[in-house]
Amino acid sequence: MGADSAIATQGVSKRYGDMLAVDALDLDVHRGEIYAFLGRNGAGKTTTIRMLLGLIRPSGGHVEVLGRRVRPGVSDVFIHVGYLVETATAYPNLTVRENLDIQRRLTGAPRAAVTEAIDLMRLDAHADRRAGTLSLGLKQRLALARALLHRPELLILDEPANGLDPAGIVEIRELLQSLTTEHGVTVFMSSHILAEVAHLADRIGIVDAGHLIEELDREELHARERGHVRVGASEPQRAAVLLAAAGFAHVEPADGHLRVFDTQDRVPEIARILVGAGIELTELAPAREDLESYFLRLTSGVK
Amino acid sequence: MFSQVLGTEFLKLRRSKMTWLSLAALSLGPAGIALFMWIVREPHRAARLGLVGTKANLSGLTATWPAYSSTLTLIVGVGGMLLLSFIIAYVFGREYADGTAKNLLALPVGRHWFVLAKLVVAASWWVALVVAVLAEALVIGLALALPGFSTGLILGGVHDALLAAGIAYLLVPVVAWITTLGRGYLPPLGFALAMLALGNVFAKTGWAQWFPWSIVPLSIGMVGKPVQTLPASSYVVVALTFLTGIVATALQLRYADNTQ
Repeated sequence: MGADSAIATQGVSKRYGDMLAVDALDLDVHRGEIYAFLGRNGAGKTTTIRMLLGLIRPSGGHVEVLGRRVRPGVSDVFIHVGYLVETATAYPNLTVRENLDIQRRLTGAPRAAVTEAIDLMRLDAHADRRAGTLSLGLKQRLALARALLHRPELLILDEPANGLDPAGIVEIRELLQSLTTEHGVTVFMSSHILAEVAHLADRIGIVDAGHLIEELDREELHARERGHVRVGASEPQRAAVLLAAAGFAHVEPADGHLRVFDTQDRVPEIARILVGAGIELTELAPAREDLESYFLRLTSGVK
Repeated sequence: MFSQVLGTEFLKLRRSKMTWLSLAALSLGPAGIALFMWIVREPHRAARLGLVGTKANLSGLTATWPAYSSTLTLIVGVGGMLLLSFIIAYVFGREYADGTAKNLLALPVGRHWFVLAKLVVAASWWVALVVAVLAEALVIGLALALPGFSTGLILGGVHDALLAAGIAYLLVPVVAWITTLGRGYLPPLGFALAMLALGNVFAKTGWAQWFPWSIVPLSIGMVGKPVQTLPASSYVVVALTFLTGIVATALQLRYADNTQ
């Protein structure tokens, strides 16, 4: 846990009865970086985010945000934190502007901050509409405006692109990038849109069953995206057996194809084995895993 | 910081239907009693209009200012206990129903300020309702020209109604705690109904002065032996209930996990 840590957790756990939602999690998010927190549903992402924000108490370990220990009822550090947890919510009977005014008053931001946040999230045309009448995407924009209104040093965002259209997703990506590069804001975000994460994040943590199973920066991600050979065969099951018998250790089915890992220099050998056994090949091409495939392989236990 | 929180809590009531619904609900009290009084006073005309004249006559009510005033106190006291529970359930429970509780709990604001601000909002709301309904009752009573009017009677009636309304308010922090514990509208409403029923039961066992939810009915002479003034022990019980409710709600918000 260094002085340049925006978020640091040490051995943080959360137990609900017999279920261990988060297990001895150590995180160290550096100031000014975009850290993506990935995991399947129920992996412990939102529980972790809630512990970072003091919304739930850890069963063990401790959390520091911007150098301050997060404890129940200790609130002053949150003047520097903007956040969005799970679904975007707002007071339905109040307008967009009024909802943001509540945030402004509670964070002590100047009056102009409401209009700036509305402009930033392109909510001008909807500023005087009641929040209850907004679409999911507009509610998400309102929630992001609320998180950004008081110009926080640290943004903790749970699925920030949820409900946004493709243009909105790109817009949020550019906004988060500019916040980090131009204003030094730290972003800790969870996301299911892995392609976006791959574009955006400086570092990625992958959590599974409450454990941080992998943490890597962008360069490591590219390096670890495993090369493989994609094989389309008329008899995929028999092809897999033949390849395994020939010493190809990592063969797995995917979308009606086979993926043969760590063998990009053995394409001719694969062709010879399968064609020699009378199997017709429809595809045989070296390929690289994207983040989504890597994530799925990692969290499904396939090595 | 409290003033900012209080300002936001009042802002949250803007365009809220619940404020008007609560006024409509409590306003029905004086209007209903007035109708009853009119039926009692003029049963034949009421019967011609198809109103429940016979039933009203059987109730033993008299169409006088003292009867009108005491029935009104009952509505404000006992009806108010229930209505106040609705108000508290709304003020606290909407944060869970709308999913906005999580937006409040990681702000640079002590969570206890939200508890106090919401209780002040509920108190202001309740005072406005009671004043409006007493004014409505006075106008309707004067329009009916009921016999037995005197300034002393009116002042006594207002005193009794305000006392009952005040005691009813002091019980609601416990309802606020149940709301934060149950995170929604239904648990506090169920609790309020159960306490209202228990209040009647305890009153009949002679423990009315010790059980918080029996004290309002006791103060207005609805249960047990009518009392001129409540015993000091009852005020202590109500005060302790009030403080316990506030502390429990504040601790609940501070220490309980918020997973909604």
